[in-house]
Amino acid sequence: MATTTATITISSSDLTGDALSLSTTATLTKANSASGLDQTTGVARKFFASAQANTTLIAAADYTAGKAHKVYIKNTSTSNSEFVKVELGASNLSLGFLYGGDFMFIPYDGENDIDIDTSDVNMTVEFLVIYEA
Amino acid sequence: MATVRVTLGLSSADVMSTAVSLNVAANLLADSGSIVRAKVKGTAADTDDLVIYKANDKLESAYLYIQNLDPEKENYITVRNETESNTALVAKIGGGEFAFIPVAVDKTYQCIATKVNTMIEYGVFGLDNSAVTLA
Repeated sequence: MATTTATITISSSDLTGDALSLSTTATLTKANSASGLDQTTGVARKFFASAQANTTLIAAADYTAGKAHKVYIKNTSTSNSEFVKVELGASNLSLGFLYGGDFMFIPYDGENDIDIDTSDVNMTVEFLVIYEA
Repeated sequence: MATVRVTLGLSSADVMSTAVSLNVAANLLADSGSIVRAKVKGTAADTDDLVIYKANDKLESAYLYIQNLDPEKENYITVRNETESNTALVAKIGGGEFAFIPVAVDKTYQCIATKVNTMIEYGVFGLDNSAVTLA
């Protein structure tokens, strides 16, 4: 059984009067199970020479629906004005915008494609899916 | 302007024949935000939902951190984009798990759970829109 952990920290010394310092770790397990997620795409990068619209980054058809997959996506741009818009499903439900350097980590049920729009030419998106059969 | 730094680490020694060790960090554009611990009472859409982000509370970009604090993984919480519809599911988070999501600043996000009074922790960080109040 594979063991994969995800750790997030959020910290700020000047957002509030009391310093913010949060750290939490989760072990990524299969749906309704204590067994770890055991398949992964590995850390991948895709380069887009042209601006994209509703381009599938992660295809639901590649994953079993209704499971406890996890997805990481990062906009590797260093420009604050270059964004990747992340969308879910055929209706392109907007999740939000990843500006240069931003990333996200979400549970993924494998029921809808994850699509992206990119704001500019020559952008690279990094992603990782950890999943189960 | 404040500095909010977020780091994410994903690691596994055995999910592949080569170790996975991913560590990323970002400094968020933010002047406001907080961490809240609250109970999710509602178990069906539009009945006692917990609003975790109100549309247009932030400008330009907003980042949602949310963790399901329930010790049982099977006690899920679901986050949905309420502005779009009751079925606009964004994330289904098991007990002990968390998500970090850039939210659409002009949409309202709500949360329900499979168990009444599921404890969660959440926070939204971004540039405050003084024209919108949470009341």
